[in-house]
Amino acid sequence: MESPLLRTGFRRAIASTHASSQRQALACQRRWLATPTESSGREPVRAAQPIQFTRDDNQFARNKPAGGFSRRGPPRGDGPKSDILLSRIRILPASPSYFTATPRYTDDLLALSALLRKYQLLPQCPPGEAPRIAWKTWEQYKSEVDEPVKETRYNRLLEIIKRLNYIHPALMPEEVTTALERFKRILQPFLNKPKPIIVDNYGRARASGRRKSSTASVYVVEGTGEAVVNGKSLTEYFGRLHDRESAVWALKQTERLDRYNVWATTSGGGTTGQAESIMLATAKALMAHEPDLRPILKRAGTLTRNPKRVERKKAGKLKARKMPAWVKR
Amino acid sequence: MSRSICSRCLSRSQFTLETSASSPLPLNTAQRAAFSTTSALAANPPKKKGPVTAKPASRQGKTLRLNKNVRESTGKPPAQGERKAFRKKIVLSNTNALEVQGLQDLNLENSSAEKLAHLEGQVLALTDAQVSALRTLDVFKPTQAWNLFRKPATVIRKETVEIAKALESAQGGEDANAKQVIKRILFGEKGSGKTVLQLQAMALALNKGWVVLHFPNGQDLTNNQTSYHPDESGKLYVQPEYTANLLKTIASANQKVLSGMQLSMKHTLPFPVQENISLSRFAEMGANNAENAHAVYIALMKELTAPSKPTTGKGQQRPPLFLGFDAIDHVMRLSKYLNSEAGLVHAHDLALVNDFTRYMTGEHALPNGGMILAAVSESNRAASETLDYLLDTKYGAKTNWAEPRFNPHTGWKAEPMPAWSPYAPFDERVGKALEKMDVQKVEGLSKAEAKGLMEYYALSGVLRGAVTERLVGEKWSLSGGGIIGELEKAAVKTRI
Repeated sequence: MESPLLRTGFRRAIASTHASSQRQALACQRRWLATPTESSGREPVRAAQPIQFTRDDNQFARNKPAGGFSRRGPPRGDGPKSDILLSRIRILPASPSYFTATPRYTDDLLALSALLRKYQLLPQCPPGEAPRIAWKTWEQYKSEVDEPVKETRYNRLLEIIKRLNYIHPALMPEEVTTALERFKRILQPFLNKPKPIIVDNYGRARASGRRKSSTASVYVVEGTGEAVVNGKSLTEYFGRLHDRESAVWALKQTERLDRYNVWATTSGGGTTGQAESIMLATAKALMAHEPDLRPILKRAGTLTRNPKRVERKKAGKLKARKMPAWVKR
Repeated sequence: MSRSICSRCLSRSQFTLETSASSPLPLNTAQRAAFSTTSALAANPPKKKGPVTAKPASRQGKTLRLNKNVRESTGKPPAQGERKAFRKKIVLSNTNALEVQGLQDLNLENSSAEKLAHLEGQVLALTDAQVSALRTLDVFKPTQAWNLFRKPATVIRKETVEIAKALESAQGGEDANAKQVIKRILFGEKGSGKTVLQLQAMALALNKGWVVLHFPNGQDLTNNQTSYHPDESGKLYVQPEYTANLLKTIASANQKVLSGMQLSMKHTLPFPVQENISLSRFAEMGANNAENAHAVYIALMKELTAPSKPTTGKGQQRPPLFLGFDAIDHVMRLSKYLNSEAGLVHAHDLALVNDFTRYMTGEHALPNGGMILAAVSESNRAASETLDYLLDTKYGAKTNWAEPRFNPHTGWKAEPMPAWSPYAPFDERVGKALEKMDVQKVEGLSKAEAKGLMEYYALSGVLRGAVTERLVGEKWSLSGGGIIGELEKAAVKTRI
C-alpha cells in the first residue's frame, strides 16, 4: 500500500523523463487524444504493435515475480491453448475512439474533419450553387450507426459535409466524393428534374398547371391576345371578370397580353381553380418563350403551385370546422 | 400656487378650514370634514324589491333569436309595380357625364354606308327624334349602360356598315324597281351587341323614312301575361292588349311617315272608318280600342305592304318596311298559353307571331322593299333545339365548316357538322319559318373599334386615365375578343 503522495511523486518523476513534445501532448491529452493532427508534430495514432507471445504466463505482468511463478501456482498443461492465450493477452480496440460513447460517430467526425483540413484551400462554388444533394436525416444516421447521437452533434457533422460539398465540382477529390457517398440519402429527390418546356416547330409552348382539384393544359403561341378555354372564348367560359383576369394574369403582369394567344383545356374543380390552374400553366409556357420574364412572373406569384386543398371533414362537425347549430335541449 | 397660510402672521389660515376656495364644488358631507379619514356613511337606502315578474315563456321554434335579428320596417312598402318600374327604368342621359366635344350625330347625312365606312370605329350620337322613336319602340334595354353618358351614342362597327349597305340595297338605290327584302337573324355571344345592332339599323331606317315595326321582346308575347282569345277561324290566337299597345308604338314612332299616308283599300272592319284617314290616325284608332286592335293591325299591315302608287293620288306612296324582332328564340317553341284542350299553344299559332313568320317565309310579300331583322336573346335564352340546330348549320354552311382549322391541341382539323339529336322532335314550323332567313353571327369588336369606344368612355369622363394601346389590348382580351357588353363591364361598369 503506497501512499498517494508517493504515487504522485513517482508519476512526476516518470513524466520528467519523457520528451518535451510528448509531455505537451500529455498535458492536453483530454482535448487532443481523439484528434491527432499533423501540425502539432505528434505521431498519428497507430494500431498497437503485434504482440509476440512467449510461453511465459506472466509476460505482461507489471511486477514480474523473479522466479517466474504466479500466485496461482504453475500453469496447467492440460487446458486448451486459446484459453491460455486469452488469459494472457490484453485486447486493444481498433479505434482510438472506442471509449467515447459514440465511437462510430466520432470516427466519422474525425475522418471528415481530417478531409476538410486537407482540402479546405480548394476553390468553392459560389453561394447557393453547390450541387443539391439530400443528405441523410438525423434519424436515418442514428439508426445506421446505432449510437445515441444527439441532433446537434449530427448537425455539426452535416456542416462539415455541406462544406465539403461546396468544393468546386471540377476539382472535387475522389477521396471526398467517396467519403460523402455514405452520407447521401438513397433516394435523391433533386435528381428528379422536370422536363424542360420548349417551343416546338409550330411555335407552341405547352405547359400544365394545377390548383385545388383543377388541372389545365395550355398552349401559348405568339398572337394577338386571344384566349380559348375548352373551345370557348374567355367570356363564354368564365362569367366572372375576376376569373378571366386570373386566367391571363401571367400575360397581364408581364405586359404580354397582346402578343400571345392562349389555348387552354381545363378540367376538374370549380371556376376559380380552373382559372388559376390556367394562370400557372400559362406562366410556365410563357417562360419557354421568354425565360427572362422569370423574376417578374415569380414576383407576380404565377410560378408557384398553390398547395392548398379543401380541408377534410371531421366527425361531429358539419364541415371541416363548422359546428352544428346550437339547440336548446 | 397660493399659500394656504397668511405670510404676515404665519398663524392664520387664509381660507376657512371647511371650505376650499380652490374647489368650485358645492359643499357636501364628504368634503365638510376635509381632514377626516372616516368614509361617509350616508349611503342611499337599499331599494325595495319590486313585484316579482314572471319570466318570459320559453321560446318557440329551434332557431336562436336575438334582438338584433329583428329588422325594423321603415316607411311604407313600395307600391304595386313600383319596384318593377324601377328595375325596368331606362335612363338615357346623365348630366354628370362630360359632354363629348365633336361628337357627331347618326343623322341622315351620316347614314349612307359609304359615310359610315369612314366613320367606322367612331361613336355617333342618336338624334333627339331617333331617341324618342326608339324609346317608344322599346329598343333601349335597362342592362345597357346608357345612363352613364350625356346622350345616347353607339359605336359604328363593321356590322353597322354592313347593315347600312343592306338597307341601301333593300331600298333599291337609284333603281326603284330593284327593291329587295333582307331577312336576317342575328345571333352571337351574350353582350355581343345584337340588340344595339338592331337599334342602329332602326335608327338608320328611321333616317331614311322607313316605317319601323319592332317586337321588343319575344318573351312578352308567349309567357301568358297578356289576354288572348281565338280568332274567328279558331286556329290562331289574338292578343288584343298587346296588339293595341303595338299599334300605339307604331303610330307614335312613325308619326311623321304614317301621317302622310292614307288608306288605299277597302277593309272589312268592325267599325266605320273615314275613307281618306291617315294611317297614323288609323293605327291610333286600333290602339285606343283593344277589341278592334287586331283587325286594325291586319288592315294596317296590308296597307303598309301594298305596292307604292305615288302617282295615283295623295298619300299613296309606301316606304320600305323595317320589321324587328328581339328575343326571337322565345317564339320558336311552344308558348305558355293554353288551348281549349288545355295543351300548350305553339307560339306560331299566336296571330301576331304567325303574321311575322309569314313575312319571314315570304308568304307576305314586301313589294316596297324592307328588312326583317330578328335577334336571338342570349341573356334570357329560351330552349329551342330546332332554332339552335338551324342557326348552327346555316352558319356552318356560310363559313365553310368543313374547312380544317388549326388548334394547337388537335392540329389541323375540321369541326364536325352539328348533328340533329335523334331523341328530340324537330319542329317543322320553326324549320319552315327560318328557311329563307339568313344568319349573321355578331362577334367582338376589332381592336380599332374598341379603341374608339374606349376613347369615347374617356372623353365622357367615365374611364379614368389615358387610353393606350396596352389598355385597349388588355380590355379587349379580357372581354373575350371585344365582346362589347363585357368590354363595357370591364372598362366602365366595374367599380373597384
